Amino acid sequence: MIDLKDIKKSYFVGDRELQILKGIDLKISRGEFVVLMGVSGSGKTTLMNIVGLLDKQTEGRYTFENIDVGGLNDETLADMRNRYIGFVFQQFFLLPYLDAIENVLIPIVYSKKGIKHPREKAKGLLAKFGLEHRVHNKPAQLSGGEQQRVAIARALVNDPELILADEPTGALDSKTGGEIMHLFKMLNNEGKTIIVVTHDPKLATFGKRLVRIEDGAISEDITT
Amino acid sequence: MALFQKISQLKEFVEEVIRILYYYRGRAVFSFSGVALGILSICIIVTTIDGANKKAQEIFEMLGPDSIMIFGVGEKQRAARIRTSTLKVEDADLIARVEGIYDLMRVYSARNVMMRYRDRNWQTLVIGSTTNYFDSLAWKFQTGVTYTAEDYANAGAVCVIGARVYDELFKDEDPLGKTILVGKLPTRVIGVLEERGGSFGGPHVDDRIIMPLTTVTSRIVNEKRYLSLVRVKTNRDLDRTIEDIRITLRQSHGLQGSLDDDFTLRSSKDILAFVTVISGSLLLFLGTAAVVALVVSGFVLANLFYLNIQERKKDIGIRRAYGATRKGILLSFLFESVLITFIGGVAGILLSVVLGSTFENLFDIPMMFSLKVVVFALFFSFLTGVLSGLKPALTASRIEPIEAIRG
Repeated sequence: MIDLKDIKKSYFVGDRELQILKGIDLKISRGEFVVLMGVSGSGKTTLMNIVGLLDKQTEGRYTFENIDVGGLNDETLADMRNRYIGFVFQQFFLLPYLDAIENVLIPIVYSKKGIKHPREKAKGLLAKFGLEHRVHNKPAQLSGGEQQRVAIARALVNDPELILADEPTGALDSKTGGEIMHLFKMLNNEGKTIIVVTHDPKLATFGKRLVRIEDGAISEDITT
Repeated sequence: MALFQKISQLKEFVEEVIRILYYYRGRAVFSFSGVALGILSICIIVTTIDGANKKAQEIFEMLGPDSIMIFGVGEKQRAARIRTSTLKVEDADLIARVEGIYDLMRVYSARNVMMRYRDRNWQTLVIGSTTNYFDSLAWKFQTGVTYTAEDYANAGAVCVIGARVYDELFKDEDPLGKTILVGKLPTRVIGVLEERGGSFGGPHVDDRIIMPLTTVTSRIVNEKRYLSLVRVKTNRDLDRTIEDIRITLRQSHGLQGSLDDDFTLRSSKDILAFVTVISGSLLLFLGTAAVVALVVSGFVLANLFYLNIQERKKDIGIRRAYGATRKGILLSFLFESVLITFIGGVAGILLSVVLGSTFENLFDIPMMFSLKVVVFALFFSFLTGVLSGLKPALTASRIEPIEAIRG
């Protein structure tokens, strides 16, 4: 599904080149549960942005679902993100003016898949995560754990292959964080490919595979 | 199916924008009230000008598109308020012979004549005219009839009174057959005219009585030589007829070379031109005000939209991550701004309907509401929305998802 070959990424800070990723080779297949671990500044978020088609590498070749995404335009990339990837973020990023179910429905607005009965589907997902009584609440009326579950329902509504989660437990207490990680485990058991990016060593054991990033390169890649 | 999906997506999209506006309602209300004021003034302008034009058209119809008036006072004397007439009875006969003229109405008018009925007094304008007076002016009767050719020939003491005179002298009494004193002449009332309204700069048009010309010139004033006014209708070209009448009158009055006319020719065209000038300056004045209001509110809107985008960077990032294209972001922000100005536009139109009817009652300005006004106003509010929203929406569409999410 994901094939990264010698991916390099650098930014210019003034006229000094700052290399964030120094040649990453990584293959991730369908159905894997990967925890991408690294301290802040290691380049893990940059790597996730590239994997999630939100950012482009400076050098190297990235093949996603057998498509070389290097030369794709904005419109195609947006469509691919919509089709294949569900994003989950540390700060949930729910839209304050929409209630839970409308937040879940956001990807549908941009979808070309023709998902049938999206409203029922969104409701079903919320119910699956124990939020059937929160369907019409605004984000401000929900707890952190509830907000993150709404965000996960949003990531799933358009039937993506891949869930990309960037520090999904970072804003939650450890008990709630554990619940969220169990939820990812459950989704992985249902067949979703999951990548969780984190700096928290406690989460390492949840995945089937641990990839450690240090200073812009992979330092460890263990399948447990 | 694909179409159905498009429609439900569109519905979702529109509903979302409405929710956004509701969430940020404080700002939205502030934004659209500016637009509403601009649109309000545009509506008032258009309706007032339309109203003025309609009034002009009515005057035009009333006077007749083919009519020419000849006053026995030159332009300069008129300006100096000299009223001594130079229009002789023979002049009217000469004018009658000008080619194309098919109707000729003679008028001798006396101002400020005292009338009396029982204990009521009223000063009015007394018009002496030919029997075609009412037909020529297309002036209908509320009740009663016109004087006859016989009354005209015999200088009969009969009169038709205007609606205002009726109100002052008779109130609710039946006036037909009653005798009033016109100056010192006991006169029988035989008809009452319909109310016409307006004053056209002079005394109120309904404040007059009309009698046979012969009665006025022989029994009320002693004036056998001059007329105040001759009014003709022509079936020839208006300008050529006017020229012919001018030549005839100059000859009759012995005016040669560069001497000024000692009479004035007016056609309904002149009145129309006058109203056009008035509504033109109205347009200039009110139009400037409206454009300024719209431009200012456009700038205010643009600023608010920028602020909006700064605040909603994460919103944009999330949408981009979930598949919104640059174009999609551009369109949704643009739609938002157009919707705001559109609501403002509708509010402005409604306000102008309310204010318009108030104006109409207060200042006697006729207002003409039409589909044209609505289309015009909505077009301008749409334009304001697009112009003020385009740049901010472009900025929004250029925000990269990662920078927005990092925010």
